Amino acid sequence: MATTATITLESLDIAGDPVNVSKTTTCTKAGTTTDLDQTTGLNRVHLRSTTNKVLLAANAEGNDLSAKVYIINKATDPTLYCTITINAQTVGKLYAGDWMFIPWSQTDTSASIEIAATNWTASTGDIPVEYALFHEDTDFLTNA
Amino acid sequence: MATTNAKITLSSDITDDSLSVNNESLLYTAGTTTGANTMTSVTKVLASTNHVDLITTGSVSTTHGYVYINNPDTDSTRYFRVSIGNAVGSGTYDDGTLPTEEIGILYGGDWMFMPWDVDDDICVKPSDGNDMTVEYMVFS
Repeated sequence: MATTATITLESLDIAGDPVNVSKTTTCTKAGTTTDLDQTTGLNRVHLRSTTNKVLLAANAEGNDLSAKVYIINKATDPTLYCTITINAQTVGKLYAGDWMFIPWSQTDTSASIEIAATNWTASTGDIPVEYALFHEDTDFLTNA
Repeated sequence: MATTNAKITLSSDITDDSLSVNNESLLYTAGTTTGANTMTSVTKVLASTNHVDLITTGSVSTTHGYVYINNPDTDSTRYFRVSIGNAVGSGTYDDGTLPTEEIGILYGGDWMFMPWDVDDDICVKPSDGNDMTVEYMVFS
């Protein structure tokens, strides 16, 4: 029951020599080698709110347990982005095609992962976003 | 303009029908199709459990970047708490008034990749005061 995530970062010209970094992690329960055993599966939502909406609701039960979050902005217009926030702290902007894969602490119930289609307008069209959560706690709800 | 690809391959057989995700993105400057042209690549060895700045906003001259952080430790019990905000050094980390927001915990063997707004520093707190190595790259 394994979940693996591999990142490959490649560039031939950002430095004088080629850059090629590849790393695979097997997603395990906190501090163990036991595989994570729960997931939301892959989800897709269409964003049109310029204010924050909860993508993944934190659960205090998850504090200090292992959770991994994958989010991708599937828009094709490079100017369209969504802003990712945890407990009012902006993490970063996912522009069209950008993805992120992070551990998630859920330090308390305020630590929900929120998302906003910050520069959405009626003329831009919705911003499609896909996401998945892999986790170990026993009682988890999402409310995207 | 440089061309940098960030690819993720995610596979899981937690569910009865397995999940397989493959995506590749080009790392651009904010809102453009101009490639990020600056890269920082650092390996640090931290020898205390202090909560310290890993990547400071002053080290990047743009307002949008991408951050890769890796915990290469082979011991899954040795981890870094990764947060955004101000480091508290040797001060109390978890007293409810922390001037930083914890993103997550990188256990030995874990990596993370995310966009960064460059509004606040990215900090880490090692779990172990004996040498712990952390690797990071910033593209902007």
